[in-house]
Amino acid sequence: MAAADIALLMFGTMLVLMLTGQRMFGVIGFVAVVAAIWLWGDRGGHDLAFSQAFKVMGWFPLITLPMFIFMGYVLSESRLADDLYRMFHVWFGPVPGGLAIGTILLMVLISAMNGLSVAGMAIGATIALPELLKRGYDKRMVTGVIQAGSSLGILIPPSVVMVLYAMIARQPVSQLWLAGILPGLMMAGLFIAYIWLRCRINPALGPVIDAEELARVTRAEKYRLLLAGLLPLGIFAVMMIPFLMGYTRLVESSVIGALAALAASVIKGRMTWAVLETCTVRTLAISCMFLWIILAALAFGAVFDGLRAVDFVRALFIEDLGLNRWYILILMQLSFIIMGMFLDDTAMLVIVAPLYVPIVGMLEFDLIWYGVLYTITCQIAYMTPPFGYNLFLMRAMAPPEVSLSDIYRSIGPFVAVMILGLALIMAFPQIALWLPQTLNVR
Amino acid sequence: MRFLIAWVRMAEALSYGVGRMAMWLLFALMGVMLYGAIARATMTPPIWTDEMAQFLLMGYFMLGGAYALQMGSAVRMDLLYSTWSDRTRAAVDAVTILTLFVYLGVLLWGGIESTQYALEFDERRRGLWRPYMWPIKMVMVAGILLMILQCSAFLIRDLARAAGRPLPLPDRETRRGA
Repeated sequence: MAAADIALLMFGTMLVLMLTGQRMFGVIGFVAVVAAIWLWGDRGGHDLAFSQAFKVMGWFPLITLPMFIFMGYVLSESRLADDLYRMFHVWFGPVPGGLAIGTILLMVLISAMNGLSVAGMAIGATIALPELLKRGYDKRMVTGVIQAGSSLGILIPPSVVMVLYAMIARQPVSQLWLAGILPGLMMAGLFIAYIWLRCRINPALGPVIDAEELARVTRAEKYRLLLAGLLPLGIFAVMMIPFLMGYTRLVESSVIGALAALAASVIKGRMTWAVLETCTVRTLAISCMFLWIILAALAFGAVFDGLRAVDFVRALFIEDLGLNRWYILILMQLSFIIMGMFLDDTAMLVIVAPLYVPIVGMLEFDLIWYGVLYTITCQIAYMTPPFGYNLFLMRAMAPPEVSLSDIYRSIGPFVAVMILGLALIMAFPQIALWLPQTLNVR
Repeated sequence: MRFLIAWVRMAEALSYGVGRMAMWLLFALMGVMLYGAIARATMTPPIWTDEMAQFLLMGYFMLGGAYALQMGSAVRMDLLYSTWSDRTRAAVDAVTILTLFVYLGVLLWGGIESTQYALEFDERRRGLWRPYMWPIKMVMVAGILLMILQCSAFLIRDLARAAGRPLPLPDRETRRGA
């Protein structure tokens, strides 16, 4: 059997087994070890899975994974974001659609303090969503707002997805993070523009808060709430500045960030033993979920590597199809979206990125820029069925009046906005690259 | 039957207990990294902190893995799965859990061999500190064993559910993870 056929057989078997709904890491790992033993059983093929697992220990930046996840949970579980939400509520309430716009801004701040979208989802679904529904906001629009807004968590630094990409593509994390900032803000701007336009056309979607309620908030209270906004900026600063200045390394900054969030919640009197325990348990659950998928996918990727799959992927894209480099890039993004229907994006990154990254490099595209494109594709994958983390979380956390079909229908326009953002960054790479090139830190 | 129930209880209690301890390693990890950063800035850079942190992280993931699994944190592709009845899910799971046993079993096989090698040749990690490798490898093997144990509990539970006689949940609330 030719190597290419074996690789296809492995991929196909994995997808079929995936449909049974068994835990994904088991399915991926199973196909990997069976293939390894079948191919190289006489030369220690059984050893491949463990040696890949062991290799992960050398991935130093992986330490940031539990740190950023913990940080997000501290933020959402200790309800540190309540004041932040109040701030946007009071300041943006009088604008049509203002609370939804405020929610996007809230998500931007939360994104700057956590590495995934879970914290944003939790805060959005428990604090913002009930308030927005109570004020008569259109439920489909706001459900989409929260899913789209929280997905910024992986684009705006710190970002766990970018750390994983950086490890696989061997690019500096700091450059990638800087590259994510402007696209993240641009994406938030596009969401806001969309909400503003829709509420302008149809004000019933986002009614203003009534004047009576606003009058009850004193001017002093308004300014005091503004101070709440300092907290995320402060946490972001103590974490990012020493790192960008080169005093601390990435992993140390992630520890500082986690401890800063913890300290803030203790100072604000929101941290109890029960809350700390919940944060710690959930951090373990999510971190282990990621790790086991990474371990299994690494074993799978190692088999692909042994089959030299990168050669025939390159041959397919470059020689057989004979396409212009932009078409190849677009094809790759499309293949991510299609594969994203079957595989979760971490597994996809670990298995597919080693095949694509060398080709992207060979086509003389910037690998930092490609990392941003990949991350946005992930954002889209987070929200689209059948496999979206945000979709799962929304299903679990949404209040009863939001039905499943509302959730599915809510994402359409936001996905369209994200695709527009993706196209803009493809057309103008400087949106991503200007900041890292200008600051030029390592 | 009684033996099986006792087995499930033992397996779940063990995964839970070890995982509950492992989850606090997160703070040990923070401490080590922070000490490393402070020591580097103020005195001679310590040679052991980076590797220690990597060992702690591996221990955290490996020993916490079974508990995380118990909490149901592993993602599934639920396009079809979510439309099935509870009994159908249990029946399918009871068959497909074989994939986990095979993967974890091969992982264990490689792990035991690698640990034996490390013990026999006093394998050390390269670098300044040169720690021995067998302790972390033993921790990994223990973690993989715990995962297999937890999967055996899943299998028994799945079979019971498929037969229409689900086993009682443990007294404490173990399923509150994300």
